[in-house]
Amino acid sequence: MKKIFFIFCTVCLVNSFTTNGQAIKSGEKLVFAGSYNMSGLMTQLAQVTMSTETLATAKNSYLHLSCELSTYSKWDSFFKIRDIYESYVNPQTLKPSLYKRSIDEGGWTKKEKYAFKGNTVNSTAKKRNKPETNKTFTIGASTQDVISMFYKVRTVDFSKFKEGQTQTLMIVFDEKQVPVTLKYMGKETVSAGNLGKKECYKISIGAKTDALRGKDKNLIWLTADAKKVPTLLKFSIPVGTGQLALTSASGI
Amino acid sequence: MKKLFLISACIFTVLAITLSVLPFDTLAFLPIGLAIVFGLLLLKKSEGQQKKLPKILLSISVLCSVFVLGKTLLIKDEVAKDTQFEKEKIETKQEAKKELEEIEGLE
Repeated sequence: MKKIFFIFCTVCLVNSFTTNGQAIKSGEKLVFAGSYNMSGLMTQLAQVTMSTETLATAKNSYLHLSCELSTYSKWDSFFKIRDIYESYVNPQTLKPSLYKRSIDEGGWTKKEKYAFKGNTVNSTAKKRNKPETNKTFTIGASTQDVISMFYKVRTVDFSKFKEGQTQTLMIVFDEKQVPVTLKYMGKETVSAGNLGKKECYKISIGAKTDALRGKDKNLIWLTADAKKVPTLLKFSIPVGTGQLALTSASGI
Repeated sequence: MKKLFLISACIFTVLAITLSVLPFDTLAFLPIGLAIVFGLLLLKKSEGQQKKLPKILLSISVLCSVFVLGKTLLIKDEVAKDTQFEKEKIETKQEAKKELEEIEGLE
């Protein structure tokens, strides 16, 4: 499931495309149904909820980007998953200040925190039954965490892109910078939950990681409008294939 | 050949029951389908009183398919309310606020 979520995030990394500066609204909520291909049949496993809200400190105001992954109740007795991925970003630039990840997958737990200070990241990681580890590493100026990048992609003006156009960019995941290649593949109409059928931008993702497999098999569809709501994600990983389909979108 | 059909029908019927009970949704139709196929083949090869077992196996498979179909159509996939998880979310948000203030203090 961790890999599924990683893919869910990485497939959205398209920020190196030209942006039109549109801000992400606070109070947005997107709910996805996560399915996994079991012997040729898609089986629904979990719900992924992505939401935004404002968080103010004494000095600044941040946009809190949250992604939660919870298995459906029917699976909880067999393999319960409760993951939270969070990013606290500048509301205008979407530059991250803090990234947190708390995962609980069938009893296996891991907590991770990245504090961003310029090009330096101070990370803290704690796995179940293991001591806490700390690490400091540098990242590129445009490198972001996976969650903030997911939202940044939606500020991109894809109407200017040509089919087959590619772009390589960097994200930070598991205390490492991961290069990701994106390819704009044109438009397709797909089902978008409570939004009905929508014309979408189709983007293929390739990452230099063992988590993704196949050429043009990791795909994301974003509505071809100003909101660029993610409607469908398909992924191919070493242990199989799956998808995340939008079931409801509110506050967009 | 009849022995092979008998063993296959029994194995797939057991698998059909198992996957029907477990939350595997329509995946259970795979063993159900195979159990029905082998059940029918066994029925064809059987005579007289021997037809009783394949009939039982076929009945079980059909019941399993109805059960799985009912589950798929009538039971909505939902996430259980998890108070512990909700509590953790509140706590992590409170911690994040403190951590952000620490980061701001270092800038």
